[in-house]
Amino acid sequence: MSDWSWSARAVLVVALMVTACGGGSHAPAGNSLRIGWAGSPDTANPCTAVLSEAYTIFGLVYDTMYTLELDGTFGLGLAERWTASEDGKILTYVLRSGVTFHDGRPLTARDVAFSYNLYKGHGDFPFLNSYTRHFESVEAADDRTVVIRLTSALSNIESQLAFLYVLPKHIWGPHAEGTAAAEFENAAMVGSGPFRMLEYRPNEFIRLGANKKYFLRRPKIDGVIFQTIANQDALVQALRTGQVDMITEIPPTAVAGLGRTPGIRLATGIPLSPEVNDILLNQIASERCPSGSACTGHPALRDRNLRLALAHGTDKQKIIDVVLLGHGTPGLTLIPDGLQPWFNTRLQDYPFDLAKANHILDRAGYADTNGDGVREMPGSGRPLVFRLYRPSDSTVAPGMSDLVSEMWAQIGVRTEARSMDPDALTAACCPAFDYDIILWGWGSDPDPNLLLGAMSTDQIPTGGNETGYSNPEYDGLYKRQAIERDMEKRRELVWKMQEIVHRDVVYIVPFYARAIQAYRTDRFAGWMADAPKLALEERASLIAITPASRGNP
Amino acid sequence: MTHCRFLLGKAGGALFTVGFVLVLNFFLFRILPGDPARAGVRDPRLTQESQVAIQARFGLDKPVINGIERVNPLRLGSFTVNPLDTQFFIYLRNLLQGDLGISYHRNRPVTELLKERLGNTVLLVGSGQILALLIGIALGAVAAWKSRTAIDYGALVGSLVAWSMPTFWLGMVLLFWGSRWLGLPIGGMITPGATFANPWDARMDVVLHMVLPVLTQTIVYVAEYVLIMRTTMLDVLSEDYILTAKAKGLSTFQILKDHALKNAALPIVTIVALNLGFTVAGAIQVEIVYSWPGLGQAIYESVVRRDYPMLQGAFLLLAVSVVFTNLLADLLYSYLDPRVRTA
Repeated sequence: MSDWSWSARAVLVVALMVTACGGGSHAPAGNSLRIGWAGSPDTANPCTAVLSEAYTIFGLVYDTMYTLELDGTFGLGLAERWTASEDGKILTYVLRSGVTFHDGRPLTARDVAFSYNLYKGHGDFPFLNSYTRHFESVEAADDRTVVIRLTSALSNIESQLAFLYVLPKHIWGPHAEGTAAAEFENAAMVGSGPFRMLEYRPNEFIRLGANKKYFLRRPKIDGVIFQTIANQDALVQALRTGQVDMITEIPPTAVAGLGRTPGIRLATGIPLSPEVNDILLNQIASERCPSGSACTGHPALRDRNLRLALAHGTDKQKIIDVVLLGHGTPGLTLIPDGLQPWFNTRLQDYPFDLAKANHILDRAGYADTNGDGVREMPGSGRPLVFRLYRPSDSTVAPGMSDLVSEMWAQIGVRTEARSMDPDALTAACCPAFDYDIILWGWGSDPDPNLLLGAMSTDQIPTGGNETGYSNPEYDGLYKRQAIERDMEKRRELVWKMQEIVHRDVVYIVPFYARAIQAYRTDRFAGWMADAPKLALEERASLIAITPASRGNP
Repeated sequence: MTHCRFLLGKAGGALFTVGFVLVLNFFLFRILPGDPARAGVRDPRLTQESQVAIQARFGLDKPVINGIERVNPLRLGSFTVNPLDTQFFIYLRNLLQGDLGISYHRNRPVTELLKERLGNTVLLVGSGQILALLIGIALGAVAAWKSRTAIDYGALVGSLVAWSMPTFWLGMVLLFWGSRWLGLPIGGMITPGATFANPWDARMDVVLHMVLPVLTQTIVYVAEYVLIMRTTMLDVLSEDYILTAKAKGLSTFQILKDHALKNAALPIVTIVALNLGFTVAGAIQVEIVYSWPGLGQAIYESVVRRDYPMLQGAFLLLAVSVVFTNLLADLLYSYLDPRVRTA
């Protein structure tokens, strides 16, 4: 027998062995749901985490005073009831009785006060101390009563408390001082939520078990496994082959194919945590340039006429069709349509109209005097050539960059597109104001306060205001809405603010993207795919689902 | 004596290179625009005050070195500050104590993270390299021996095709094929939540997760070894002493093993040394396609997050491994070809 036939035999044997063993390698783990996602938490420590994946896990393992529901409202979580003093500055919360941590120790008001004071006392926590900024003091009056004193009445206390996770004092106490809190690994992640940590392998998977003694609605499944599959196409393939039961994100190009696959359902909707994609226009006035900042923005962008022309020259629907393959709606302001009731439904967008855009520019004196296809500024004669930056980690920005460059070229505006590392882009952006236009976006909070703050004058020197926009009327309304406790009055103020920034064309918001997720129907049923907001990996969804044999497929 | 001087010279050069990298590593990442306190995060909750407090926690509020407050943007500072209280000397002091710091991003000791990731990468890329080397040398030698036959043309064309294939694309094709038709795992190192009856089953689980990424690695590297081995082997086979060996009536295997292979091995040693050095850097594309928690992925993540301690530690490891494998190659050269010692 020749050497080659031996080699062929060997290859065949290895292939057969692999096939024989392969079938059992990813067998479903009991009634544990397997979720595939492209990311993974950066840390198990809620004090220092910045990635949204980490907050998804914290939301399952820890409890908070309020919980964010899938209709965007807040329900009572740990709190059984609460009262506010007449001036709204003293809030008294009574906790539910019989709540325990996963290690069996009771959760008391002292744990709540400890956690809130921990967040408040550490300026070096990236996110969570922003929710305690208005806390004057937090005390435990007894085992079940927490008293929060505020520096001023707040319009949005629910959204402030919904992310303040209650940590066990008996575990965190020794790590509370100085840098120890931030450096604490917290790999065991002992919380009190509906799921408890069983296994944490950073960048690989997280295995959570159901807390069958949970004090609210208990999970009907045995647990959840979040598996990191870094490549989006591989993520889709993992769902197809049954290696995971659900995936949290899908590239738009895979949507049509997955939709036709038997046993797989697609869910599309407004994301629970909507993200806003925006086109930033640098309009910082020279007198407002923060000290030490470059402020090199093109002066023409300070002119509302030019910004208005750019808005009319942007075909948002085409961007949605090409970049998102239709899975989005045209945007208006930084407050996305998913942020009801804060999203202003009265606003009318500037329609895509090249003739109108050209007319606006002609009337404002921007003419192409040298016939090179690019208009020049009246007076200085500086051509309308803008640096167009985009973050290198964005999947939508490259397509958007090409499209807006083409669109704006038709109104005599030229762009010089450049992809930049996100951190380098932040360094160029704000408060340096060393850019003309950036294609970027924000992650949003369930409350509009943070996004509205991105256009307030106070935040120009801190870098929170990235466009350099400044309007005293807007600033006044921003301060009023932050303390307005009447929901209806606050909504009116927030709507008015959106009208102002839309009128002034502070940003061009090309779209609000839809969330697209997919799940298999063979192992689990009862998916919350039709909820007003979509997040199949969040607490409310995971508590609702049942093993397929017990539920309705 | 000459050999001893040769060895000392090479080792001294390697040490100097590592020392240079130590210093370069510190400044290189600080030259990048950006700020670890922000770490590419774009969230209105991250206030200016928090960023200042985070910088202080990381020790980035201290001057970089005497006379330089910050590197990017360059801000000159006082020369009279206590040098022991500058970022550079704190870095050197910790390094001499074997402390690589705590990762800004992962909140865990860098040494621990590197150990974990390095093990994973060496397992994956090392297996791929060894397989590629064995197959490549054998196939290259056979192709040269059977020169201008169907075997030679097949090996040549196959190698050229494999060499030209983008790793990412090849990985995706194998991933789709392997997961669909062989039921192999899509990614990761182990099956999450699986329980095994015995340690053997657990090891088999890791092996199954390795099949596709190792196959990708092997295909990517095997072509290089085949092509180089074939070319050098053809040169060697045209030498008179091979003709003599044939005339003596030695078998094909003996001629290849005893007379041809050792002389054709020098270029392969160079390539292997280079590849092994970079093995530590991981095959980032393969790691991403197969979600393999290796070092390459960690380095990419650390660059994005401006995780200075992790970057410093990882690049030190890379430098040491490249320098070490090159040193090893030099020593091997001197064994394989004594002329190198006296050159």
